[in-house]
Amino acid sequence: MLDVGRHPNIELLAYSEVEKVEGEAGNFKVTIRRKGRYVEEDKCTGCGACAEKCPTVVSDAFNEGLGERRAIYSYFAQGIPSTHTIDADHCRQLNGKKCGICAKTCQAEAINFDQEDRILELDVAGIIIAAGYDVFDPSVIPEYRYREIANVVTAIEFERLLSASGPTGGHMDRPSDRAVEAEIAGLEKKAKKSQKAISKLEEKFNEPSAQFYKKYQAGEYKDDEDRKKWADKYTAHLAVTEPLEELKKQAEGFTVAKRLAFIQCVGSRDFRFYPFCSGYCCMHSIKEAIISHEHEPETTSSIFGMDIRAVGKGFEEYKIRGGNNSNITYVRGRVAEITEGPDNNPVVIYEDTRERKVKRQEFDMVVLATACAPIKGIAELAKTLGVELDKYNFIKTSSLSPVDSTTPGIFVCGCAESPMDVPESVAQASSAAERAAEIAFQMDLEKEKAVA
Amino acid sequence: MSKDILVIGGGIAGMQSSLDLADMGIKVHLVEKLPSIGGKMAQLDKTFPTNDCAI
Repeated sequence: MLDVGRHPNIELLAYSEVEKVEGEAGNFKVTIRRKGRYVEEDKCTGCGACAEKCPTVVSDAFNEGLGERRAIYSYFAQGIPSTHTIDADHCRQLNGKKCGICAKTCQAEAINFDQEDRILELDVAGIIIAAGYDVFDPSVIPEYRYREIANVVTAIEFERLLSASGPTGGHMDRPSDRAVEAEIAGLEKKAKKSQKAISKLEEKFNEPSAQFYKKYQAGEYKDDEDRKKWADKYTAHLAVTEPLEELKKQAEGFTVAKRLAFIQCVGSRDFRFYPFCSGYCCMHSIKEAIISHEHEPETTSSIFGMDIRAVGKGFEEYKIRGGNNSNITYVRGRVAEITEGPDNNPVVIYEDTRERKVKRQEFDMVVLATACAPIKGIAELAKTLGVELDKYNFIKTSSLSPVDSTTPGIFVCGCAESPMDVPESVAQASSAAERAAEIAFQMDLEKEKAVA
Repeated sequence: MSKDILVIGGGIAGMQSSLDLADMGIKVHLVEKLPSIGGKMAQLDKTFPTNDCAI
C-alpha cells in the first residue's frame, strides 16, 4: 500500500470516480471526477488534530459501523493518502450550522469549505477494472435474524472485532455486551450531571437527599417550592442511578465470546440469492476460528457447512491444523434457524447429517460467512466503459482469456471478475497488468514508427 | 497518443496491477472511490493460510 503511494509512476486519484470513457484500445479519453474533500490534498499533513477536535460523531464504515469516527476523518489509521476528508452529509459547517473548529485547529491551513469537485481528462492506452465486490447483506435471510439478534455478526464485522486496530482492540467483546457498556457510559454521564445538581441543594439545606426525601414523602415541606424542586431532582437522579446499578451488575458477568459458531454459504450456493460458490469463505471462517483461539485459548468453534472447500496451496493442511490445534469442529449440515436464548446467546438449530438428527446448540456469538456479491454501481461502470456483464453482474470474460473484458483494451482482475481470494486476486492482477502493458508498449512502438 | 494505463479500484488487485505496470516503466492513474486505497483487504486482520498481517 505504501509502495503504491510513493511510486513515481503511479498517480493516485483517491476519492475519485470515472465519469466518461470514449475511444478504443490504445486511445481512450477518460473523464474523472475528483470529489471535493474540503481539505487541500497538497497542504494536509494527515496529523489528525482536526478529527480530535471535531464535535460531530458518525458511525465508522471502515469498522462496519462497530466503531465511531468524526465528520472530518481519515478513512483508516494507516490509509493512503493520509489526507483527511470532510463528510459533507454530517459536517455542521457544510450543513449551514456554525462550527469551523477544524479550520481553526488546522495548522497547515488545509481546510477549504469551498472546495468543489474537479474534472480531470486523461488519455490512456488501456484500462484495468479492479472494482472489487460487496459483502452480501444477510438481513434478507429471515431465518438467520441478522440485525435482530445482536450477537449474530457477519465475517467482516468479526474481522474488525479481531483486529488489534479495530473498535475493541482485538478483544472478542460481544455486540450485545458492548451495547450495554455504551448504555452504562451514557447513564453515568447523566448520573454525574444529576448528582452535581442535588449536591448543590444538599449543601444549601445541609441535609442528605435520601433523608430529606423520606421526610418530604411523609408530607413535610408541603408548600416549600425550593424543596419541591429538590425532590423532583432527586427522583430524576434515582431514575438514572437505579437502572445504572442494575446494568453494572449485569456487566460484571460479561466475558469475551468463547463459544463461536461459523455458518457457511450465507447467500452463496443458495438459489434464493447467489447460486455460485464464493470460494474464499470456508477458508476465512477457519482463519477467524484459528485467530480467535490464538487470542483466547479457551475458545471453541463449530463450523457449519455443506462441505469445507479448502482448494488452494496449503489450504487443506490449514484446515486440518485448525481442527487439531485450535478446537475447531467441522459440522456437516446447513443451519435451519438461529434463535435467541438466555443472556443474549444465539441458539443454532441444525441437522447433523452424519447422525441424521436435528440438534440445537447455544453459542456466545454466531458469525455468518457472507457471499461475495457484485459491487454496487458495477452496472453503471460497465455502461460507462462499454463492457458486458455476466448473469450475476460480474464483468464478463471467457475461460481462455480470463482477464479480457468484452471490449478490447479493457481488462479485469480480482472480485470484479468473479469471487476469489487474495492469492488469486494478486495473480490475476499481475496477469491483467501484463495484458495492459502489451497495449502500452504497442503504442510506444507506433509512436516511434511515426517519428521514423 | 499516450501509453498510460488507467486502473479502476485501489484494492489488492488494483494495487498489484498498478505496481506491476509502474515497475515496467508505464505511467499509471489509479482511481479509488473511497478516501484511501486498501479495499476490503485493509479491513482484514490476518490472511490465510499463513496468518500474515493484511496491511
